[in-house]
Amino acid sequence: MRRLNQYARAFGRRELTLAGASVVAIIVFATTSPYFATADNLATVLRNSTELLLVSLGMTLLLAMGSIDVSVGMVLGLAAIAVGRLLQAEIDPLLAALAGPLAGAALGLITGLVVVFANIPAIVATLGLLGVYRAAIFLALGGGWLSGLPTGLTTLLSSKLAGIPVAALVVAGAYGAVWAALRRTPYGPHLLAIGQSEDAARLAGITVRRTRVATFVLSGVLSGLAATFYVGTYRNVEMTIGSTLALDAIAAVVLGGTSILGGRCSLLGTALGVLLLRLLQNGLLMSGVPSLWQTVVTGVLLLTVLGLERVGSFMPSVRRAGRSV
Amino acid sequence: MTPPLLVAEGISKRFGALTALTGINLEVRAGEVLALLGDNGAGKSTFVKVLAGAHPATDGTLRMDGVPVAFSSPQDAANAGIATIYQELALSENLSIAENVFLGRELVWQVAGVPFLRRRAMQERVADLLHELDAHISDPDAPVGSLSGGQRQAVAICRALNLNARLIIMDEPTAALAVAETRKVLQLIRRLSGRGCAVVLISHNLSDVFEVADRMVVFRRGRKVAERTRAGTDHEEVVSLITGAHPDVRALEQQQS
Repeated sequence: MRRLNQYARAFGRRELTLAGASVVAIIVFATTSPYFATADNLATVLRNSTELLLVSLGMTLLLAMGSIDVSVGMVLGLAAIAVGRLLQAEIDPLLAALAGPLAGAALGLITGLVVVFANIPAIVATLGLLGVYRAAIFLALGGGWLSGLPTGLTTLLSSKLAGIPVAALVVAGAYGAVWAALRRTPYGPHLLAIGQSEDAARLAGITVRRTRVATFVLSGVLSGLAATFYVGTYRNVEMTIGSTLALDAIAAVVLGGTSILGGRCSLLGTALGVLLLRLLQNGLLMSGVPSLWQTVVTGVLLLTVLGLERVGSFMPSVRRAGRSV
Repeated sequence: MTPPLLVAEGISKRFGALTALTGINLEVRAGEVLALLGDNGAGKSTFVKVLAGAHPATDGTLRMDGVPVAFSSPQDAANAGIATIYQELALSENLSIAENVFLGRELVWQVAGVPFLRRRAMQERVADLLHELDAHISDPDAPVGSLSGGQRQAVAICRALNLNARLIIMDEPTAALAVAETRKVLQLIRRLSGRGCAVVLISHNLSDVFEVADRMVVFRRGRKVAERTRAGTDHEEVVSLITGAHPDVRALEQQQS
């Protein structure tokens, strides 16, 4: 029991650190920019976090499973094109909104089947698919942009239910549903067992391949849902859509305490990681730092966290090796 | 006398041109601890892999309760009541004891087709099993990563019992354990046999074997060369059987060659 409390405390510490870092970031940027700490701007940060919150939720599951998907940005892009084309065809905005997650599911299924049945390491397989999907985006857009899309979807998604923005409801619903799946159904222990050791999971009788493909589909659905919000917000789809999304998502998830090696995850950590990342990016922009530096900051943050985890886990792993197992 | 739980008749196993096992006849009774002894490469591990469904036998038959069985996967063997405790324990360190015991076989209740975990029921069942095995683990929610080697063996055994195993195969269960931990695992083996569960044990440690085994079978170059009860033999004789210095083994091997 004491040991369990230690674990709980160790997990909670990461989330507290992130919340603390966010507060510090807000205070620092408030002094460097008069426009940062305004209600309007902070609301914008939250608004701009919607897509990354959804994509990172799927990425959390993939990393927890010992997998990864570096093509999520392209999945978002292709799903956004599907939504955009349907809007152009003057289809009911609600149906167009559903096309996002549907297209995401189809692409997630393709990714999952390629990774699992071709038995290629996920990072390599999804890197290959990233190239293919990027070309597909180029072909679908014909070198131009989808722009000036009809406003129906925007109206739908910017509405409020009982005073709460639809985006907040959808994000909260998605996190709640995934939390319930992890903690209240066999999916949770199966996912984490696969992340810890695929062979052990198979020996235990878990349908490893089905669980893995299902998780890629789920991640695809979340990226597709993010695409719907993207189109609703910006009403255009540009050629470079989603190009830094995978980096942002992986950085936010790792920042949140999910293990890059699999077997451990934190949904709250992911949400806080996304918020901190978006706060930093917005704060730097507001303080006059060129936007090119955003990806530098994200990348350095990712490498720093991974480096610190390596150093931190060095001691326990030595102790584990010494134990009589 | 009760009929044997498991009978192996003329089990042979060839890997291409290599003959790993030749005509093994062997019985395992319920509640008995049977030790398989032999030098490296004698065929003990291949034989238990045949029992566990990991390798199909090239020749011969296996009977459980007198009924012929054929295992094409470890899952088949598990369904027939044969469980293997793997040397490199197949537990998930990041999951709790209860989650490990029920992994892949969770108790659930369906709500609109969605399976929800029955955590309380699983925890209670695991707490009962741990208590029954006298494993000195109080919290089924503790992560397996925090347990000692002997405690992990207990969890693996709980998992096997929970799947209604009637025969548990243990390949070198004490090889990597400290002395105190080894004592606990030997106690666990005794308690298993007390429950009526048969244990097939592979071990190089003869003092462990003499402490828990009811019967010993010696393998040499893929053949069974001797079978002894614990009361009917001693360390010295067993060593000479394993090394081939024993007159019986010499006679047998001269006759074969």
